Amino acid sequence: MIEEIYNYRQLLKSNVSKEIRGKYKGSFLGVLWSFVNPLLMTLVYAIVFPFILKSTQPHYVTFLVIAILPWNWFTTVINQGTSCININGGIIKKVYFPREILPISIVTSGLINYLISCLIICLFLICSGLGFSINIIFLPIVIMVQYILLLGIIFITSAINVYIKDAEYIINFFVLMLFYGTPILYSPELFPENMRWLLNLNPMTTIINAYREIFYYKTNPNLKSLFVVFIFSSILLYFGIKIFKKLKKGFAEEL
Amino acid sequence: MKKHESNNAIVVKNVYKKFKLFYDKPNTLKERLVFWNKTKVNYHEVLKDINIEIKKGETVALIGVNGSGKSTLLKLMTKIIYPTTGEIKTYGKLTSLLELGAGFHPDFTGRENIYFNASIFGLSAREIDARVQDIIDFSELGEYIDTPVRTYSSGMYMRLAFSVAINVDAEILLIDEILAVGDQHFQDKCFQKLDELKKSDKTIVIVSHSLESIKKLCNRAIWIYEGEVRMDGKASKVIDEYLKVCG
Repeated sequence: MIEEIYNYRQLLKSNVSKEIRGKYKGSFLGVLWSFVNPLLMTLVYAIVFPFILKSTQPHYVTFLVIAILPWNWFTTVINQGTSCININGGIIKKVYFPREILPISIVTSGLINYLISCLIICLFLICSGLGFSINIIFLPIVIMVQYILLLGIIFITSAINVYIKDAEYIINFFVLMLFYGTPILYSPELFPENMRWLLNLNPMTTIINAYREIFYYKTNPNLKSLFVVFIFSSILLYFGIKIFKKLKKGFAEEL
Repeated sequence: MKKHESNNAIVVKNVYKKFKLFYDKPNTLKERLVFWNKTKVNYHEVLKDINIEIKKGETVALIGVNGSGKSTLLKLMTKIIYPTTGEIKTYGKLTSLLELGAGFHPDFTGRENIYFNASIFGLSAREIDARVQDIIDFSELGEYIDTPVRTYSSGMYMRLAFSVAINVDAEILLIDEILAVGDQHFQDKCFQKLDELKKSDKTIVIVSHSLESIKKLCNRAIWIYEGEVRMDGKASKVIDEYLKVCG
């Protein structure tokens, strides 16, 4: 499979660039929208939440941005990725190419978006006076874990969505709920102690915490729990590839 | 690749293909739960026990009336769909032209779409760079190549799509009824190109209803009738027989 995907690397490349550039083609701000969107979201939360939560988190906006941008990567990929086979039904029925390219290019374009938006994080770190620390060297590891996790999820959901179209809506709702079950707007300490295990069941909790530890608290990320999530994501990816491989044979007929 | 098979391009062995026929396809979860085991599923057998061997360098036409299973067979060879039982093996790089311009993005220019379309066929950036001028020349689009594809007329669109597909340089070319591209001049050019490919030892499989052109181009024809191979042999002979029965 890997060899075949390598042969089709140009398709992967042009798919990724189509994903990034094509989405906003024709709009005035163009690609900038993919950064303006999460920033506006941050702005809304930064205005609303301090009122409700009486949050005493210092540098709350920076605290938010660090978590919202990777979360934005997570949700966009899951929303777009789940329907990516359905949307490309036209080509799937007409041309042969390794179908794995489609989910991979969605996750990869999300990754590139996130990498670019890291510049925004840097900007906030500088402006808030928090600055940087050597712990940034752990960033690639955290990004890699999130990439594997997303790929695993998308392989499964995109293949299932071809057969059961409800999957898309169920998953979108689930992701929306998960937003509140992930320490993005709050820090995990605000969660009641006896409920915190529930929060920790969510792999995104570990990942978001790791981003915060690197950028905001300037400490080493919790490598032990990151490793657990890495193992979980790898297993998920393994089964994801298996499921996708089995289901892809029926794509052209089901669509 | 095994040695004794090395002069075969496509081997179709005992292939059966059934399609599920739903009267009401349960697409959503609700329908699936409500109509659990209640939906009538009928199977329609499109292909029955097909055995074909196509040698390297052959130019083969698949003929038959509408709904006889020619296009299904072609899709099976492309690996877009998979046989219910039996197996299909292809040897060498394969390109299929089932529909022209699949995957064109209307907002991108012709040139960008060449890159995108050719990459669907599995070409790398360097390979496309080497061909891009040939493709543009063949399509005769001239300066329009740098305008968005949505501004093209349908003829221009088809010409560009055909030019990309024909210049991919695959060893096996599968073509489904797309020879009626553009005006007479461009059609002639397409045929010339196909003839050229045929002489350069490419394997070509064509599904077509334009029997006269097939007679000229192909040296072998396979007549598919109700999902079975009715006749297989020299193109002119098979076509004459076909015309006798179906004409």
